[in-house]
Amino acid sequence: MTGREDAVLTLSEVHKSYRAPGLFGTAVIPALRGVSFELVRGEVAGLLGLNGAGKTTIMKLATGLLFPGSGSISVFGMPPSDMRAKKRVGYLPELPYFYPASTAAESLRYYAGLSGLGGAELDRRVSEVIEKVGLSPHARKKASEFSKGMMQRLGIAQAVVHDPDLLILDEPVSGLDPLAIHDIRVLISELNGSGKTVFLSSHSISELEKLSGRVFIMVQGALVRTVERREWESSSGGLEGIFVNTVKGGGPGGA
Amino acid sequence: MSHLLTALKVAGHSFAENYRSRFFALFLVFAGVLIYSSLLAGVMAVDEEARVITDFGLALMELITLAYALMASASAITREMETKTIYLVLSRPVSRPAYLAGRAAALYAVLASMLAVMALIHLSLLWVRGLAPAPMYLKAVAFIWCKLAVITSAALFISLFSTSAVSTVVIAAILWTLGHFTAEARFLASRSTGAAAVLLSTASLVIPDLQLFNARDLASSVPAPAGPAFLAAYLLLWLVVPYLFSLLLFRKKEF
Amino acid sequence: MKKYPDLYLALFSAVVLCLAGRWAFLGTRSPFPPPDSIREVRRSAVGDAIALSLGLRRLAADVWFIRLMQYYGAPSPESAEAGAGPQEYGAGAYPEFLPMARHILALDPYFTNAALFSAGSLAFNMNRPEEAVAFLEDAMSFAPREWKYATLLSAIGYSKAKDPRKVAETITPLLNEPDCPVMLRQLGAFLNKKAGDYAAAYRIYGDILATSKDPFYVDNARREMEKLAPLLRAPL
Repeated sequence: MTGREDAVLTLSEVHKSYRAPGLFGTAVIPALRGVSFELVRGEVAGLLGLNGAGKTTIMKLATGLLFPGSGSISVFGMPPSDMRAKKRVGYLPELPYFYPASTAAESLRYYAGLSGLGGAELDRRVSEVIEKVGLSPHARKKASEFSKGMMQRLGIAQAVVHDPDLLILDEPVSGLDPLAIHDIRVLISELNGSGKTVFLSSHSISELEKLSGRVFIMVQGALVRTVERREWESSSGGLEGIFVNTVKGGGPGGA
Repeated sequence: MSHLLTALKVAGHSFAENYRSRFFALFLVFAGVLIYSSLLAGVMAVDEEARVITDFGLALMELITLAYALMASASAITREMETKTIYLVLSRPVSRPAYLAGRAAALYAVLASMLAVMALIHLSLLWVRGLAPAPMYLKAVAFIWCKLAVITSAALFISLFSTSAVSTVVIAAILWTLGHFTAEARFLASRSTGAAAVLLSTASLVIPDLQLFNARDLASSVPAPAGPAFLAAYLLLWLVVPYLFSLLLFRKKEF
Repeated sequence: MKKYPDLYLALFSAVVLCLAGRWAFLGTRSPFPPPDSIREVRRSAVGDAIALSLGLRRLAADVWFIRLMQYYGAPSPESAEAGAGPQEYGAGAYPEFLPMARHILALDPYFTNAALFSAGSLAFNMNRPEEAVAFLEDAMSFAPREWKYATLLSAIGYSKAKDPRKVAETITPLLNEPDCPVMLRQLGAFLNKKAGDYAAAYRIYGDILATSKDPFYVDNARREMEKLAPLLRAPL
């Protein structure tokens, strides 16, 4: 890793394993094997892989929800658990869940407050973001009354309400209808256009193709290939073809 | 200071969530019904009606709030982990100590508000019967809160390593009963030798002496088992020490 | 220390807590008698254990007091067997009365009114003054400054000496307490009447009528006041 000054997220030889208690002891399941990559300011990077490839693990490591077994991670040059780093990160987990008795507006106000906003600025940002994600008609509804798509929109709203510099989005279009997917895609593009760095994972290859400048392909916990946009645009099979070939042909190898 | 503010925000939100929970309302309705049903016992006690209604009411208040305290503290953090709402909190600039303190403070505040409401219901019953509350009434209610705060603090700690909410409730309930047996344990220790004496003495170190706060069981004329300064310090220790041990478990917990 | 400050802080405060717990365990005197003073009465063991384990001694004592009054309010078992009607003013053998009364005090030694009610019933209704005295002395071991016990002991003494005026005089301070058991107030009224102090008797019966909720005592007070009114030329 070059340790560039404009590096937003840097992983260097990160290993991560999970312990699974069994009948005769504890099994160690490797989730990440020596993953290294760097995100630079202003880019949109995608993370692609089969289920269990380690995508969510990487995202949780970047947000301080998990700790690496070995290797190093830095967010804006700081450890992920540093409060200054967290202030600049917006995270959307896969299938976000909200407090059922809180309305959308109340939830957003809570999360905005935790991110350091307050007073008039908090009110303004919450109104703006509710409008932006298309939840204005539902702002006073309780989360328990929300559909899956509305939950996803609210999830994106809480990720962007504090105007973070880095967005980490785990399956942002999961469970959405085509219109909602379009809206979210437009939103992500707008956010990137205003200078935000976006790091997203998806099972939807077409979404990654439309949004990302480059894509990291994960296979069984290893980063086996990094594909630039020009590469899949010039390839006959597109990103899908490259992905399938990588998964079938590879296992843990080089980037 | 910022950590304190964050803890207050977490506490405020958690309090509101508890307050809106249907279980909270159910508990209060149930409490109201039971407290008024103690009228029957009062009638049977004839000229000791004031004492009997007071004792029944205070006992019911304590037991009902205890049930809620155990259930709420057993699931306060584990539920957030299961539903993943904790992701949206800890991925933000919220330190784990602040989060834990906020959740604990919310529980203490909820218990205080429950006791306040039930005390009003109970006092209304006494007023309807033309009876005056006993001189030690407010002290008894305050000390009930102290006992519940101690067991809540312990239950929060237990919830972080126990395998389920049910086991947390069971262990905390056992601790509650043992906490009332300190006088008996002291008596047995004085008559025991060898391993039994060692076991009882050790238990006396780690089990909270809830009898110290059992003002409900003492007549106003009986001096408290310990002075107010010691009781305040003992209460503070029993809130702080489980919190610190909870923090040791929580700081490296992965989500 | 620098690397794991929270660990050391937790351990240090745990040590302080253990020391405080030890002090509480050894240094504080339990306001209640030891558990071996609680004798089982009418299969009370499970209930007693639950009461102790939940810190509900006072409530358990209340429940047993209600049971005592129900037991004493019914005809004495021996009289019922013999086919006799209810005994006058609670006279009768009532063999479980004293064990139940002791049980109440073992659970809550500060239940003064229960102790006064029990001792008064034993001494003045059931004619068992020795048992009443022993019972009161047990009660005083946990509340040595409870003047009401000493007062009642004195009254029992004068009762044994067959001096009703002196008994009435002795228990008058007790009767002036707002939470004095109605049985003792009735006794006071009866003794004052026997000693010829009809005004005092009338006043005490009036107090019973105004404050007691026990229909037996209220009806009795009304009847006595009707009898005393002509003697005093006082209105009912």
